[in-house]
Amino acid sequence: MTASPWRNAAMLAPALLATILLFGGALAGAVEQSFTPPLGGGFDTWSLQNWQTVLGDPVFGEAMLFSLRTAFFATVLSAAIALGIAYLLRSHGSATRTAAAFPVPVPHLIVAVVAVLWLAPGGLADRLLGSLPINFVRDQAGLGVVLVYLFKETPFLVVLLMSVMGRRMQEREEMAAVYGMGVVARLKWIVWPTVRTPLAVGSLIVAAYVFSAFEVPLTVGPNYPPSLGTYALEVTQSGAIEGAGEAAAALLLGALASIALALAILGLISRRWPTSD
Amino acid sequence: MTERISVNRLLVLFMALMFALPFLVLVLQAFADSWTAPALLPQEFGLRGFRDGFAGGGAGDAFVRSLLVAVLVTALSLLLAWPAARVIGERRLRHPGPVILVLAMPVLISPFAVGTGLTSWFVRLGLTDSIGGLLLAHLVFSLPYAILLLSTGFGSGLSRSEEMAESFGLRPLRRLLLVTLPEIRPTLAVAALFSFLVSWSQYGSSLAISGGSPTLPVILLPFVGSDAEVAAALSLLLLVPAVLALWASNRAGHFR
Repeated sequence: MTASPWRNAAMLAPALLATILLFGGALAGAVEQSFTPPLGGGFDTWSLQNWQTVLGDPVFGEAMLFSLRTAFFATVLSAAIALGIAYLLRSHGSATRTAAAFPVPVPHLIVAVVAVLWLAPGGLADRLLGSLPINFVRDQAGLGVVLVYLFKETPFLVVLLMSVMGRRMQEREEMAAVYGMGVVARLKWIVWPTVRTPLAVGSLIVAAYVFSAFEVPLTVGPNYPPSLGTYALEVTQSGAIEGAGEAAAALLLGALASIALALAILGLISRRWPTSD
Repeated sequence: MTERISVNRLLVLFMALMFALPFLVLVLQAFADSWTAPALLPQEFGLRGFRDGFAGGGAGDAFVRSLLVAVLVTALSLLLAWPAARVIGERRLRHPGPVILVLAMPVLISPFAVGTGLTSWFVRLGLTDSIGGLLLAHLVFSLPYAILLLSTGFGSGLSRSEEMAESFGLRPLRRLLLVTLPEIRPTLAVAALFSFLVSWSQYGSSLAISGGSPTLPVILLPFVGSDAEVAAALSLLLLVPAVLALWASNRAGHFR
């Protein structure tokens, strides 16, 4: 079934227009807010003051570092665990797969609430074990934040990985085993080439989400340092008139970091691992 | 064979316990009027969490608002995503990368950033504090998932079936009802599920846009540190439609 380029363009137009108008409009709105002088001055007046304030604020630097750190650990650990679980479950039936995917539809906020009920001082884990050796809720290192994301994102990556670890990969593995290929060689030459692209794309989505989301840091994260999202929220709620512009500048810097990360990962995938394997 | 089946069962049980057991505490806490340390079970059961959560109509209104927005966002996402997903899934584009990148870009950006940016426009258009404003803000995030997931259902197999149906003289509407929809139903169900869930659990953009008409997640969060019973009751309220959506999606995807 062939279609003309015009027909394709017409079919893409509604989704593209909606995305460009809403998402592009949102970015333009945030840029406008970030350049609006703190004390107003009309739409024709521009100022760099919000950007200077944010970039000169040591708390912003701490927030950026905290978000990068939690995003890195949550992504790397959930990717590694998901890879192991998906490999173990690759030949299991749909009941196992459904059980592994259970947390996928659960909102992040609910997982954070459950984490507080279990892991907060005086929580259920404390009552069961006497006392927890490590503090997970409101701890300065953000262990609780990473733990919540591990619980929530690992199943998402497992589902993604198992979608490519189907019968075809198993047949290739079996054939390789028949020809005398060892476990390590099979992992290197058959499993890894099959999973690396979905793993990289899934990890990218997880990293971007963890880096920018703020309901989990707000619920289980430390009071200081804030995450990038909670920093922006605190600036907005500080009551100061310049809050919205500063929050917009901080969020745009976070967005730039996310886009740079995405481009770096996508570049790495296409350069090191051409898709035609 | 029997050994394999029992290993399978054990594994399912282990996974179910590991992932589902932590959530049981929500049910206990939601129906507890009193549960203080060091007790392992509530000292007193009751409905205070729900009563206080619903007091003044806050949670009830927020629940209805969230549900309405999520259902509308799902419908609109699927409607907008269908033609685009078809073009991407059937690999009609010579260079699909830039198109996919533009369509998927919102997934990478903080919802609070998008909500903050949209607020300045919505204030001018009178869309803040409205269902329309929430719908448009949630659409930004639910549309990429709908397109990417739906595109996996379109491909050469479906195209061949449709061509065959056309050669047998089936008109477009009957072709859609008798060939396309039954074949793409599982993918459509998953795309609908994710569109619904993205909107249903949306916090950042709702917080920025909703103001005086908040959604359920926005109502819930402040209770987490201050009132565990209300937080658990509202969490259950947030969890039930998500689980029902998963069940409905599974049913819709497998029913033939």
